[in-house]
Amino acid sequence: MTRECAALLPGVCAALADPRQPGLDDTCLEKLLDWFRSLTWFDPTVELVQDNPCLTELITSVLALPEPSPSILSFTLQLAGILASSENRFQHLQQEKLLGRLFGRAGPVGGALWEDPSVRSGWVKGVHSMVHHLPALHFLCSAGVMDVIFTLQGDPSLFVASAASQLLVHVLTFSVESETSKPLSTKDCDWPACAQMILKHIEESLQSSCASHIEHSLKLLTSLFGSCYAAWTEVLWLNIAKQIESFLMEETVQAQHMLANLLLNVARSPVFSDTEGSFWALVTSALEHLTPVQAGPLAVGLLRLCKCPQDVRIQALTVLLQPMDCILRAASQPLEYAGLLDESVTDPVTVESLLSSKTSCAGLLCQTLAHLEKLLSLKHLRVDLPCVSLLRSLITILQFCNGFLTPTSPLGSTISRNLINCFRVQKSALDVLAALSEKKGCDTLIRSLFDVLLAYLESPNTSPTVLKKAFQATSKWLACLQELSCSNSQCQQTEKILEDVFLVLQKRLCSPCWEVRDSSLEFLTAMIKCLRDQDGFRQSLLSSEVPRLAENLLEDPESYVRASAVTAVGHLAFITYLAAESPVAGNQYNKENTVAKLQEILSTDSEGFPRRAVISIFTKWLREGCTGQLEDTEQFVSRVIQTVEHDLDWEVRLGGLELVEVFCSKTICQLGLSECPYAPESSAVTSSTQQNLLQVFCRAKLFGFLFQSLCDCDKPVGQRACDVLIGLRGNFYPISTLENPQEIEDSPAGCGIAWLQRTLRQGSLAQNFPTDGGNGVDFQDPESMMVALGAIDLLELHDELNKSSDHVEESPQSLLQDILATVGTIEENEVDCY
Amino acid sequence: LSAFSLCPGAGQDVGRSCILVSIAGKNVMLDCGMHMGYNDDRRFPDFSYITQNGRLTDFLDCVIISHFHLDHCGALPYFSEMVGYDGPIYMTHPTKAICPILLEDYRKITVDKKGETNFFTSQMIKDCMKKVVAVHLHQTVQVDEELEIKAYYAGHVLGAAMFQIKVGCESVVYTGDYNMTPDRHLGAAWVDKCRPDLLITESTYATTIRDSKRCRERDFLKKVHETVERGGKVLIPVFALGRAQELCILLETFWERMNLKAPIYFSTGLTEKANHYYKLFITWTNQKIRKTFVQRNMFEFKHIKAFDRAFADNPGPMVVFATPGMLHAGQSLQIFRKWAGNEKNMVIMPGYCVQGTVGHKILSGQRKLEMEGRQILEVKMQVEYMSFSAHADAKGIMQLIRQAEPRNVLLVHGEAKKMEFLKQKIEQEFHVSCYMPANGETTTILTNPCIPVDISLGLLKRETAIGPVPDAKKPKLMHGTLLMKDNSFRLVCPEQALKELGLAEHQLRFTCRVHIQDPRKEHETVLRVYNHLKGVLKDYSVQHLPDGSITVESILIQATAHSEDQGTKVLLVSWTYQDEELGSYLTSLLKKGLPQSTA
Repeated sequence: MTRECAALLPGVCAALADPRQPGLDDTCLEKLLDWFRSLTWFDPTVELVQDNPCLTELITSVLALPEPSPSILSFTLQLAGILASSENRFQHLQQEKLLGRLFGRAGPVGGALWEDPSVRSGWVKGVHSMVHHLPALHFLCSAGVMDVIFTLQGDPSLFVASAASQLLVHVLTFSVESETSKPLSTKDCDWPACAQMILKHIEESLQSSCASHIEHSLKLLTSLFGSCYAAWTEVLWLNIAKQIESFLMEETVQAQHMLANLLLNVARSPVFSDTEGSFWALVTSALEHLTPVQAGPLAVGLLRLCKCPQDVRIQALTVLLQPMDCILRAASQPLEYAGLLDESVTDPVTVESLLSSKTSCAGLLCQTLAHLEKLLSLKHLRVDLPCVSLLRSLITILQFCNGFLTPTSPLGSTISRNLINCFRVQKSALDVLAALSEKKGCDTLIRSLFDVLLAYLESPNTSPTVLKKAFQATSKWLACLQELSCSNSQCQQTEKILEDVFLVLQKRLCSPCWEVRDSSLEFLTAMIKCLRDQDGFRQSLLSSEVPRLAENLLEDPESYVRASAVTAVGHLAFITYLAAESPVAGNQYNKENTVAKLQEILSTDSEGFPRRAVISIFTKWLREGCTGQLEDTEQFVSRVIQTVEHDLDWEVRLGGLELVEVFCSKTICQLGLSECPYAPESSAVTSSTQQNLLQVFCRAKLFGFLFQSLCDCDKPVGQRACDVLIGLRGNFYPISTLENPQEIEDSPAGCGIAWLQRTLRQGSLAQNFPTDGGNGVDFQDPESMMVALGAIDLLELHDELNKSSDHVEESPQSLLQDILATVGTIEENEVDCY
Repeated sequence: LSAFSLCPGAGQDVGRSCILVSIAGKNVMLDCGMHMGYNDDRRFPDFSYITQNGRLTDFLDCVIISHFHLDHCGALPYFSEMVGYDGPIYMTHPTKAICPILLEDYRKITVDKKGETNFFTSQMIKDCMKKVVAVHLHQTVQVDEELEIKAYYAGHVLGAAMFQIKVGCESVVYTGDYNMTPDRHLGAAWVDKCRPDLLITESTYATTIRDSKRCRERDFLKKVHETVERGGKVLIPVFALGRAQELCILLETFWERMNLKAPIYFSTGLTEKANHYYKLFITWTNQKIRKTFVQRNMFEFKHIKAFDRAFADNPGPMVVFATPGMLHAGQSLQIFRKWAGNEKNMVIMPGYCVQGTVGHKILSGQRKLEMEGRQILEVKMQVEYMSFSAHADAKGIMQLIRQAEPRNVLLVHGEAKKMEFLKQKIEQEFHVSCYMPANGETTTILTNPCIPVDISLGLLKRETAIGPVPDAKKPKLMHGTLLMKDNSFRLVCPEQALKELGLAEHQLRFTCRVHIQDPRKEHETVLRVYNHLKGVLKDYSVQHLPDGSITVESILIQATAHSEDQGTKVLLVSWTYQDEELGSYLTSLLKKGLPQSTA
């Protein structure tokens, strides 16, 4: 603790204990606790409490108050817990006889203020912080505290109940790990007293007939097995496994829904990695006995495990595929498709009845689809997914949802009735469809897949959110299509599909709904990104109306759409006039015209998104070397800089700096200077190149922008400008001179630079960088700029900018000052909001 | 029906809102607010409490946002794009338009900080807004086949709404923040007499009868005017939207009336869009604005001009609105630094400031500020705090309860002590239960759901045929068999139910023994009984069968002598379930004994 803080602390403590003071902002108290946590974390000594007696005085006086406010009492409990987290300080507080009065039976437990959940929460948190050494553990057992924690598991406040459960896990783990030296057996007498109390409590509640007691214990066990992988957990498991098994079999106990999580956490624990044994038999039984909805999360969790018996994996996959299998069978004519599965884990009638009920059908399918999406995203799935059948089932679901398929079987027609126009299922199915595009071997179904996708893209019934997903899936599959299309017949098919896609896109780009226009433009950009090298794609795109419509949307009334249009048009440019061999002739796609339009948006658009989109597209063009010869580029960059330096949006200014950075490195490369400042260069060559370089940069008006940005009122801009300048300087000054910047004398020539040096030495605090360009500093004079780069201590400035990167003062000293100042103000400012 | 608030912190917490309501099997999340006082996990609600099993998208049926303030919508992009909720989100049209501006504004000042991670991006805000379904006032929106929602005017800010959530005949009204007295640009909140099972109301100003907003406005104008008159500069740090527009209208009309010349500037590029929306959603403002709109649009400001950074150094008086609102970064802070040293100048803070910001420091009276650990900035300018927020006070809350006539009231968004007072008042005056759960506490309310049942035509015809002529105003009791199948309920006649379910009918017979004192022979007793019944039950078919038993319709009576006492005869009466009425009448008749005259 700094001296300043130590001096402020007594005042703060006195203010906190004063009942006449108006309530403090909750966040102040929380932040104060954060600070004490950080102070005690690495320091177990008693000094903190000894040197600051005001802390124990605060606890004493709050305890002495006849009616402390709940928030102060809660704060005090937490503070005491944090202080008591080390044995030394614990003993100190014990000597003062404070802990019993706070956490024992004599404390707030059961009193009037105990009604307030914030007090109970503070109590639990306090105890949790305290239990990091044996004396605290013994205190818990002897002061009757354990029973209070057990009761709090069923607290009306979910927050308190959950904290109590976490606390029990912590106490149990800590007790076993700190109080035993030899491996534990099932015999009770081996276990430490505190652990025994908790185990007994768990076992008793599991055997009780009260559903909530069972639930509490299952919750506790779930988080225990999720967080503790010690060998003794196996002993614990063996004690309760029978009971858990009975919950699976008995339908009377409503605990099944919690078993999946518990079993999954146990399965994840390395203690149970042995693939033989009764545990996996229990898991298998769970997959059979839980309902499909309950078993789903367990199944998907099992499939993500590295170590899991293969037969359990296959069974888990079967559980997940069962609804899809059912869909396929329900949709097909007899004997057309065999479905997905050879045999099922549970009775297919269960899944069938869930799918034929209106209420459960969508829920089960959405859950299954989400799980399948998760599986598809896994890098290493240790079972084979039947991708073709899966794709067929997805197509079927999507057809059910838009009414394109009305099967004859009774089950099929019920399911299709349940699913028609169901957005939730549509979205989930499209997500899986997109994920499935990365799997190989689905080419046989391509045509019917695109039929469905196009139907969705075309249909006026498709909701904007569904449409977005349909676009995403389409662009993913289009990319696959291009990879596939080598043979002639496939080529024709691809052409036809692209033609259809662009027809739909044309219509969608004119939608009255901005969400749709925006998604359409995003889709266009995504397509160009992955297909721009494909001739077929380029030709189809350019022969459609899409490019013209996209360009029109640069003037859309909705700013989000304008921004997306900027990005799309920027990418379009890659296949029109920026491409090496442009396929288009004539002035239909006029480069100057587009650049002028984007420039216009950059300088006049009233909103940040489109301007940000323009600057990032310009940077992208520059990075890909598409802006023409060096001189063109120079003028282009110079124009852009002059536009963005006055932008009100700091992210646009930041984008401008990024553009400058790319421009610099491109220019350096082109002029033959190595990009690496450390590379050995012959000085003669370098010096003339340097001159050239400086001239280019000065003509492009880079330096004025960079130096002024150092004083930008938004920190990230200053930091970035400093980075760019440091990078630039490396090209002009050898590394050895960087450490000792030159001192500029106040001679007439160096006067401006000296002023700049002084101004910047005050760092960003100066905040008064003259907008007219500074006291005679000529930012376009190569010589002056060379001097400036050498003279200004950019590294120091860089440190300074990094240090003070945040205007929300987070130091503890400031916090203490704020608390003192707040309690000093008599009037309580009214609560307000934004 | 149950409700609970899942903002972190165990007590009642003033500020952000996030409430989960479960009604008739549907789960709805009301608002998704953030706390600006933290920059770690604590700023967002802990969504893991919503459900431990399964995905949020499967669990929640929809999310409803009441208005665009960040303490009600600030966590929404985090929830939908980072936590992964992918279901429907509802808000009004103005909220949908304005909400992303505020989110974007806040994102910009948050990512400005070093090392700020775990925060949503611009793209995420857009993707989130694309999932939003905008609703009109009083439009009933069908979320799914059972769940419907309806928005009512709340008058708190532009586009603020109260929402009615209804499943079958169960309903909840959630007020969000609201204001019962019309102000300069908004009207008063209004809701139907919809008699919801539960009214969830904010209670920020639960015990305050506030001084009128007019007073606060007069005070504000006076202070600005005085400063400008003595040649000082006024800085008003604001967020891009909301308060800013309100104060603009105020100053604009005042400048017009007083013919003032000092310039007023607006420093942010975002306002143009904001002003545009106020123009666009003119129907959401109050009557006065709408009326005058034809002659002059209230949001077409004549005196307020765009600010340029260079203007801050201009001599002479001026008023500047600058972002951000807590003086912790960007332009407002830059201008503050320039002007702080002059006692002629003034800064007016029109809203809440988070601890650690310069705004918070000067409001708590600190006058020597350490700027970035190096320079000391001495604040000589005047510092004023002014709250303009439009919440209902105790009177307003009572008024709304009177309007809606709820069966239960739940208070949120307030301090425990103040809420306790209001709770008692509500319970006394309206005789309804009032709850004030802490965050994390679940309130469960019992409702009497009415479940619609289809009735078969056959049954309807049969039932109407036997009773009196049906009367639309009088409820009628019907007998039938309730079939619950595939989530539908149908009342059919028993025969049909049996047929549909493929069941055979069981015969249920009641038997009863009646003892009669009669020393005669059994057949004589039977004859006496027969004659007696024939005399009493003239309209029924009473028969004496050859085997010695009597039937009255389907009821069978047999007589035997008592095994121990020959003077007593035992009559065995037996009847079917269908003739229950007649059967019990007969037994009671026989229990009275046989009349002497027939002897």
